Amino acid sequence: MTLLSALARRAEIPVFAVIGTRGLGLAESLRRRPGLRLVDSPRHARVLLVAGAVDGAQKQALERLHAQLPAPRGTVWWQAEPLFARGEVVTGDDPMPAIRAAASADDPDQRPDVPPHPWQGIGPHGHGGRGMMGGNPYGRPMAMTADDIRDGLALDAYSARFGPFLPMLPPGLALDLTLQGDVIVSADVASAPFEQGPQGDAPDLCAARMLRLMGIGPIAARARGALLALPQGSGMRRRLAAWLRGEQVSETPDPLPAALPGLEWAEAVLWLASFPPSRLRAACMERHAA
Amino acid sequence: MTQIAMPIVVTLLAVVFAVAMQRIGPQTGATWPQRAPFLGGGQPETHAWQRFHVRYYPMTLLFIAFEMEMMFMYPWAVVYVETGLTALAEMGMFLGILSVGILYGWREGVFRWQ
Repeated sequence: MTLLSALARRAEIPVFAVIGTRGLGLAESLRRRPGLRLVDSPRHARVLLVAGAVDGAQKQALERLHAQLPAPRGTVWWQAEPLFARGEVVTGDDPMPAIRAAASADDPDQRPDVPPHPWQGIGPHGHGGRGMMGGNPYGRPMAMTADDIRDGLALDAYSARFGPFLPMLPPGLALDLTLQGDVIVSADVASAPFEQGPQGDAPDLCAARMLRLMGIGPIAARARGALLALPQGSGMRRRLAAWLRGEQVSETPDPLPAALPGLEWAEAVLWLASFPPSRLRAACMERHAA
Repeated sequence: MTQIAMPIVVTLLAVVFAVAMQRIGPQTGATWPQRAPFLGGGQPETHAWQRFHVRYYPMTLLFIAFEMEMMFMYPWAVVYVETGLTALAEMGMFLGILSVGILYGWREGVFRWQ
């Protein structure tokens, strides 16, 4: 072993955590562990850690995420049933040996290296459609203007599915959003957040998640400034204050398709994080049942 | 001879430099899934190539209104002593026109920072 590889071995392993059912507490317990760093994007990760069981319906999303990790990549399934045959399964409480092993693994691609939507251009240069804006290059329509709900300036709307494994959203929550700039114009719940059990609603963990989104350190959170940074009138300040005092929050959010439009993306993310996962799940499930 | 050779040498050096930079730069070799935006497993339904509202745009227009004013005032200050009242009247007209623009921006809510 050379000096360089010995040094590299001691470096922190960047891990992207996919959080499944009852995986929130597991992933939070890893934040204080030395030797690894939880990153917010698969682009920066070396190891894909699936903490908690992931529904079979999310298999394709998980495969896509696996393929988005740059090679070489490794996979660890922690208290989770593997959805595809890559990586190692850990059933116990300590995934560190498996993560270290995965950090020297090299999984092959899980998704084929082809465009998600094939090229469908027409014309001599395959440029898409007729006119300036038409056509379906790569099978997706070009963005077109739509009515704006903020100040009436009609601009292009962007529609996409966000989640279910986006780190800033509650784990499992997949939203079909249409955005104009950073304002949400329409929202629909594609899948409800995963069950997290009582551990997911623990006040300190909920407060930590919210403060992390705001980029505020734990000591600064004790000051009033953390609360003042939140927008007024949405109940976010009240809920974060309760969590910081160590109290449970039992408010249920309004149905998301009605509550999210009009909010800016960053505000919406904080608003979602200001509800305990169990209440958010209940609100999404009601909607699904109806 | 040097006058012909130098531009050719400089052009060659530039090309060599550009090619070398391209070689040194990171070879991404990104696969198709990696080229897609990261949406936590989700996929976009429209192209990313789109127009969006730059919120600071009215602010930049206001900045230009003030900046043009200042740019014109420096040379004006130099000749003002010689020219006297005519220069003062000219500057008054110029500032008058610009301040109409600022008043218009005010009406449009430029000074309300969101």
